[in-house]
Amino acid sequence: MTTAPQTQLDRDAILATVGRLVVEIAGDEILLASGPITLATSFNGDLELESIEFVALAEKLQEHYGTAVDFVGWISSKELDAIIALTVGELVEFIATCRS
Amino acid sequence: MPVVAIAGRDVHVQDLGRGAPVAMVHGLVIGSLASWFFTAAPVLAREHRVRMYDLRGHGKSAPAATGYDTRTLAGDLDAVTAELAGPFDVVGHSWGALVALRFAMLHPERVRRLAIVEAPLPPSRAFEMAAFVAADDQLPQRLLDALPASLRDAVAGGSRQAQRLLASVDQLVHHSSLLADVRAEPDPPDDALAAIGAPTLLAYGTRSACAPAGARLAAAIPGARLQMFDGGHYLHLDAKDALAGAIAEHLRG
Repeated sequence: MTTAPQTQLDRDAILATVGRLVVEIAGDEILLASGPITLATSFNGDLELESIEFVALAEKLQEHYGTAVDFVGWISSKELDAIIALTVGELVEFIATCRS
Repeated sequence: MPVVAIAGRDVHVQDLGRGAPVAMVHGLVIGSLASWFFTAAPVLAREHRVRMYDLRGHGKSAPAATGYDTRTLAGDLDAVTAELAGPFDVVGHSWGALVALRFAMLHPERVRRLAIVEAPLPPSRAFEMAAFVAADDQLPQRLLDALPASLRDAVAGGSRQAQRLLASVDQLVHHSSLLADVRAEPDPPDDALAAIGAPTLLAYGTRSACAPAGARLAAAIPGARLQMFDGGHYLHLDAKDALAGAIAEHLRG
């Protein structure tokens, strides 16, 4: 057994968690315009989260994953353009890397 | 969501990091604690306990019909930092910087160091200097014109973000005393500024209409240091890393 399938399971679980947290913050209706949340979904362009909702996401990620996942530190190290273009997939990859 | 109740009204607070405490205050109308949360706060949080909060009527704090003058908002800052032990540093942007100055005048014993980013003077002309408004009837368009490019694009697209931003702006502009409070705000007298004892960094943008205020404050506050950054009024975005680094260095003393 290689580690690859396990890693894929982990990423699937993280994607599901991120999707659930986004809906908790912004409500079901956020999916009406964006469609289901996938790795390619962008937080700004597709979901159109407000910056204060992004703070709420940071808070929920911290509650869920603990301090091992330093979302705020990771975001703040990025250029503004990269933050604006951030996708769910990039966040999932970051969380997976923190947990491996 | 962590909240502190001030006079029965919920104020949304967020803390980052550990160490000597810093309070950060955001600007009016389009500001929220997110202005600092994803910009300078994580840098300061490497050495400090950073406390941020949404001003009344902003972000996730409860709506408020009145109390946007710097004296009332400095009272809110006092309440929101009541649990911080000893003197702490205060960082403010725009109107939040005026609140920081007022707080330092009212409670000098509570302030260790000050970082003032783009405080507009005279305060009553704040919105004109932030390129916001010349007349009430033109407010929405002028306000949109003054937004950072990323937000402006969203607003132009008539998007979810735009709708929520416009709802928040409408609430503050048409259903609160915010504009009247700004226009009635007195200029801080030079002798009050001269009494500020906290070491003060004044950060202004080379392309900001507020820049002359930096020169005035530098002359009035003893030992204050004026530092110019490449950018406009939204320096925490325009000069994100440079500003965060300069504030961290200033607070290190």
